[in-house]
Amino acid sequence: MAASAENSSKEKIVAAVAIGLFLVIFPWLNPGYRYLSLAITTGITAIALYGLGLQFGQAGIMSVGHAAFIGVGAYTAAILSGNVGAGFWVALPFSILLSAFIAGLVGLPSLRVSGQHYIIITFCFCALLNIALTNGGAFTGGATGLDVGSIDRIFEINFDQLRNAYYLVILALFICVVVIYLIINSSYGRTLNAIRENEPLARAVGINANLHKIGVLMVSGALAGVAGILQAYYLHHISPALYGPFPSLYLALMVMLGGARLIYGPLVGAIIVNFLPEIMRLDPIDSRIAYGVGLLIVILLLPGGVSAGLFGAYRWLMSKRQQ
Amino acid sequence: MKNLKFGALLMTAALTGLLAQLSRAADEELKIGVVAAESGSFVSAGNTIVAAAKLASQQINDGGGVKVGDKTYKINLYIRDNRTDVNVTIAAARELVNDVGVKAIWGTETHDFSVSMAKITGPAKVIQFSGNSSLGAVLDDKSVAPGGWLHYTFQSEPQEWQRSGSTAKGVLSLLTPLLAHAPKHSVVFVGNDATGQYLSSHYVKALEAEGQTVDLVKYPPDTTDFSPLLTRVKGMNPDIVHFWYNGDSTLTAFPQALKLDVSPAYFLFGVDPGIYQQRQLRSDKPVTMSCVPVCWGSSPYPAVQDYFKKYFDLGASKGPQSSVSLLYYDYFFMYAKALEQVGSIDKPDAVVDALLKMSYQGVVSPVPLTFNPHHQVTFATEVCLVKPNTSDQFNCTVEQPPPAPPAGDSGG
Repeated sequence: MAASAENSSKEKIVAAVAIGLFLVIFPWLNPGYRYLSLAITTGITAIALYGLGLQFGQAGIMSVGHAAFIGVGAYTAAILSGNVGAGFWVALPFSILLSAFIAGLVGLPSLRVSGQHYIIITFCFCALLNIALTNGGAFTGGATGLDVGSIDRIFEINFDQLRNAYYLVILALFICVVVIYLIINSSYGRTLNAIRENEPLARAVGINANLHKIGVLMVSGALAGVAGILQAYYLHHISPALYGPFPSLYLALMVMLGGARLIYGPLVGAIIVNFLPEIMRLDPIDSRIAYGVGLLIVILLLPGGVSAGLFGAYRWLMSKRQQ
Repeated sequence: MKNLKFGALLMTAALTGLLAQLSRAADEELKIGVVAAESGSFVSAGNTIVAAAKLASQQINDGGGVKVGDKTYKINLYIRDNRTDVNVTIAAARELVNDVGVKAIWGTETHDFSVSMAKITGPAKVIQFSGNSSLGAVLDDKSVAPGGWLHYTFQSEPQEWQRSGSTAKGVLSLLTPLLAHAPKHSVVFVGNDATGQYLSSHYVKALEAEGQTVDLVKYPPDTTDFSPLLTRVKGMNPDIVHFWYNGDSTLTAFPQALKLDVSPAYFLFGVDPGIYQQRQLRSDKPVTMSCVPVCWGSSPYPAVQDYFKKYFDLGASKGPQSSVSLLYYDYFFMYAKALEQVGSIDKPDAVVDALLKMSYQGVVSPVPLTFNPHHQVTFATEVCLVKPNTSDQFNCTVEQPPPAPPAGDSGG
């Protein structure tokens, strides 16, 4: 039993090192600018997905309006840049804090209603924010959106160079993964699991479920804020269309495809949705059909998502090999 | 024997030189990128960019290519489908600029995407031609100056105040004689997205400059049932309802407006007479329409008729947005001419200067095309009136743009 646990943690370490190493050397594998650019957007998406994965996978709170919180982070950065002249590094904490605050605020009604009602609330918030941004006049740039400059250099690193931008995103992703890992494996993470599995029982044993639910939504919002500011500075231009209900549904799809409970799930989901259409040359209609079919397969056959399926397949192969 | 060896050596050297020269000559290609939506929600606009690029490059190559200095270049198109996704758009732009090394890019079809692309093409000194008139919001003295982020970007559609001015004038001049009284009240019905907001702000001012009282009604971009909003519009008692700007949405909304009898007259922006005829639309009320930039269904210009014949012969579809192709076609020839004048394909700053000084007789306009100091082109607008209760009898007029923006319009 002890040997099995030891093997399992060894496998986890090897997997983490292998994935980390691959992400670090990816630009040196000569992927071309197209794939490097897609890797950056995948990394940014994955950061937001880790937040969504935490609230859904650990606390059982699903959102179909998560793009709105990314939008809050992005617009905070763009508005601070345009109106106050604040650069990326100054705006970063504001984007994180405001996204976290708004996520907590939107989460308040979830304390009174059950899961599916909260999903509708997030959807409504997303649509509402979209309308507000579209009709926000010069302050939000209206439907045209806002321009954002370049990330200020630190240590003379020019983040307009694609490779440097990639490493910045990977660094942010790494920090997010570490934070999520620590949360999942902390007593707080176990408390969230208890709420997910049986909220009345958790309350009965004295857990302040309301506080923890708002807490996890704020952490999720904070990660969305990080993704938002990175996206704004990467695209150099943002508009409400990026943060509407449809992109939110895609985020929910990614997290369900990849798997919300395992640490690699959100990353796998982001990679599938961003890279699959490129590699298989699928147009958007075909992609949606593929996602729909894929989601059905995942729900029926791989309830833990593709990452859990891959992990299970690996375990099965290893056990066969040992036999 | 010695002479024979020397001769053979000389022959070999000469042949090697000749082969090297030939291979170099065969290698002279002018790489041009096209980023457009060949799939996704903007596909109808995106396909026209690709079709126009193919037609123009084929004609230039068939005509012997682009003669730059003592070299002749054949255009090689690198077409990338952006799948109507901004992330794919910028990935494609980075690939074209950094991996392929294109000298110029045509596209894309939307404001957001074009702006994000310009942040890539600008620093790389790659010329970009975009047909979005909404670029006028960001093309200014500072952004187009050397070192500015839009120095290499050109707007191949007229400034919006110009188009709005000529359109408003054309619509009112065609409709007024057919109405019981001179129209005073217009309602502009527009999609509430980036392009709609930008375009309608200018069109409202243009109508007001023509003496109209204007109400603006916006609809969400994905609307399919327009009846609640159209009922509201009817309650405003308009003399003319202007469906502005999205041709596809207009084709859904207009029949609903006819059923509800919303207005005594209509204007359909972005709906080609060819489409009106194809769909056998019919109204007992006078209807005007205009196209972006010139109608393929009823153009008075032989050059335009000839262009669209060749365009459709290539297999391009006859759609509401087919005419958009002309926002991209002429500029291939302008760019080729600029390269010939500069004498090099590797001097983008000189190419920008040449384009700004150039006067080129294109298909899209009966007068030569020129770019203003903000890198924007100017040409007239064609407005057509369909005879009531018919689908195929059009009376078209060409209106020149006003000399200056109307009161309250800051230009752009």
